[in-house]
Amino acid sequence: MSESLGTDTVSGSQSQGTFGAGGAGVTASPAPPRAAARRRGRARMRLEITLLSGPAIIMFLAFVIFPVAVAAYYGFYRWHGYGPATDWVGLNNYKLIFTDPAFQQVLWHNLLIVVLSLVIQGPLAIIMALLLNQKMRGRGLIRVLIFVPYVISEVIVGTGWSLMLQANGAMNDLLGHIGLGALQSDWLADPNLALWTLMAIISWKYIGFAVILMLAGLQSIPDEIYEAAAIDGASFWQMQRRITVPLLGPTIRIWAFLSIIGSLQLFDLVYIIWGQYVSGTAGTSTMAIYMVAQGRDAGNYGYGSAVAVVMFLISLVVALIYQRFVLRRDLRGAVTEGTV
Amino acid sequence: MTRKARGATAVAFGLGIALAASGCAGGSSGGGGGGSADGAVTLTLWENASTGPGVAFFTNAAAAYHKLHPNVTIKIQTVQNEDLDGKLQTALNSNSAPDLFLQRGGGKMQAMVDANEIQALPLTATDKANAGAAALAGNTIDGQVYAMPFDTQPEGFYYSKDLFQQAGIAAPPTTIPELEADVALLKKINVAPIAVGAKDAWPAAHWYYNFALRECSQATLASTAKSLQFTDPCWTKAGDDLAAFLKVSPFQNGFLTTSAQQGAGSSAGMVANHKAGMELMGNWDPGVIASLTPDQKQLPDLGWFPFPAVPGGQGDPSAIMGGSDGYSVSKNAPKEAFQFLEFLETKDQQELYAKAYDSIPVNAAAQSVVTDSFNISSMNAFNKAAYSIQFLDTEYGQNVGNALNTAVVNMMAGKGSAADIVSQTNAAAAKG
Repeated sequence: MSESLGTDTVSGSQSQGTFGAGGAGVTASPAPPRAAARRRGRARMRLEITLLSGPAIIMFLAFVIFPVAVAAYYGFYRWHGYGPATDWVGLNNYKLIFTDPAFQQVLWHNLLIVVLSLVIQGPLAIIMALLLNQKMRGRGLIRVLIFVPYVISEVIVGTGWSLMLQANGAMNDLLGHIGLGALQSDWLADPNLALWTLMAIISWKYIGFAVILMLAGLQSIPDEIYEAAAIDGASFWQMQRRITVPLLGPTIRIWAFLSIIGSLQLFDLVYIIWGQYVSGTAGTSTMAIYMVAQGRDAGNYGYGSAVAVVMFLISLVVALIYQRFVLRRDLRGAVTEGTV
Repeated sequence: MTRKARGATAVAFGLGIALAASGCAGGSSGGGGGGSADGAVTLTLWENASTGPGVAFFTNAAAAYHKLHPNVTIKIQTVQNEDLDGKLQTALNSNSAPDLFLQRGGGKMQAMVDANEIQALPLTATDKANAGAAALAGNTIDGQVYAMPFDTQPEGFYYSKDLFQQAGIAAPPTTIPELEADVALLKKINVAPIAVGAKDAWPAAHWYYNFALRECSQATLASTAKSLQFTDPCWTKAGDDLAAFLKVSPFQNGFLTTSAQQGAGSSAGMVANHKAGMELMGNWDPGVIASLTPDQKQLPDLGWFPFPAVPGGQGDPSAIMGGSDGYSVSKNAPKEAFQFLEFLETKDQQELYAKAYDSIPVNAAAQSVVTDSFNISSMNAFNKAAYSIQFLDTEYGQNVGNALNTAVVNMMAGKGSAADIVSQTNAAAAKG
């Protein structure tokens, strides 16, 4: 580990060395002094960029690229985590993954969570943001209350909800006390309910983030447009539908992107509330849960690495397609801005 | 020029952070036990007791051994139980393993042996007599012993004598039909008859293991460990037994999302607070139960009985399932490491160990220190057992064990049958 890390970073620093020299491609012809100064300035700029971004690049290589490469390597082996990997199985792990009904099941759960997150949180967040954008009393407090769940750690949220939603937990107790005993159910273990319970918890936790994003997006819409619309006699809802939502587009698209990637990698909440075994029977297991159960807990580290690679590729493909087709306009502005 | 030097510093700094954070620093767990010219040896030992008597036992044992052998210093390092496996794996793979460490046994130990990471122990006749044949058998691979067992953890039912009395149960059940009758009696006094922490899977799976222990012969259990093919009809029969038993709804409400050991709402907590009549567990359970009673003292009415007999089963009705805590010696450790284990296996140290861990020592000469009634019951059952076998998820390795656990939980959740347990377990063997 340390050895390969060492070589990794050394090569990184070497390339930076050549990168930082900057003068490699400079011709020896005498140039006018201003051009020389400009060249010196450029070389200096490159050096500074190298110095400032170097540590970050090294960290990125060490903690993102290197583990991905290692996982890809182990994915071709049957390896139980002790000693060097020697049992080469080629693509057999991948074959097993795609033929395993359990994996198809978790993939389906992930897709459901992606779609439901967008459908439930998106409209709710926009409506809440519209309301919180109006001047009213207690607005600050409500904003804080909506945002607080997002700040609390997943483990604490999971533990809290898990205790409240037990069959003999606070939720059923409360329902019994207010005369809604008929609604008491096994919120976590009932396969017909568990996924909706999960979605409720996810929405409660992450909607604060969506609302804050939308509010920020709303702030950037100029008031003049609304004034003009008001003069033209547009009603409040007409303004929201024809001005606000279209101009919120970039914000919504970015939020959806983050939400999709987050949903694809969902792990902690499910792991804390259901554990990896019950999540399968309750219908809330995800690809990440499958990876941990098949990799770490079954001791099949090679197989688990292959699952990690599959997850990475799925997320990457989704991200690339999304950027290519959905975020294209938004990103174009962002990327060209720097040179204007 | 200075700028360049600064750049190098920045790069070096980043590299330093990367290395430090990636845990390449082996810390104080230097492998291989530092030997030096004057024969002084420093050993490292990893154990998982994080508080109180467990830590004290090892610290005192290390001090006592140092007195006898001034050249040997033993550093005791506590590793949180849940972190132990991962840290050990990293340490063993990076050649910075502790000299001595708690061995989980079974498939994990097999993987360490396959990777040539632990030593076979050169036991003397005295060592063998101290440890006892039954306990050593569980730590033997291909005729070699790879871990020194310290205690035995026979599994059975930990139950509340008071609740049994209230329910009108005269004596603990000895057959499954009797157990079913007792379940009905306990329901009448409004307690959960049996607590199980199915969220963690293994406590639920232990039900299947024990039915299998009664249904399958000793020979079948042993041959399955080699083949990992669950083809003998007894495996399906065990699943059918469990399915039939589930029909009397013996477990608490919401047992699928109950954890085994965390908090008063866990299965151990339910026994500790008289919310459940009994729980099927290994002998670490009394310690967990004691920590979850309102006054954090042991339940005064805690009793123990073995898994009941299953009419018509191929297994011996006296057979016991259970693990044992043993310690292994990593491959680069000096001979003093093993000598320290021999010292820990002697009568006096075994007595201290059993007291500290509230457990049953493997050394028969030390068993007189066991005084708790539940421990005496389980010790007698263990000493009388025709044979004992490790928990199946240990015995058959992590991969198959994990599949077994998952399949049993599925069945308990109403999403699978006895046949599915067998087929899913056979499928898992293909991955490992």
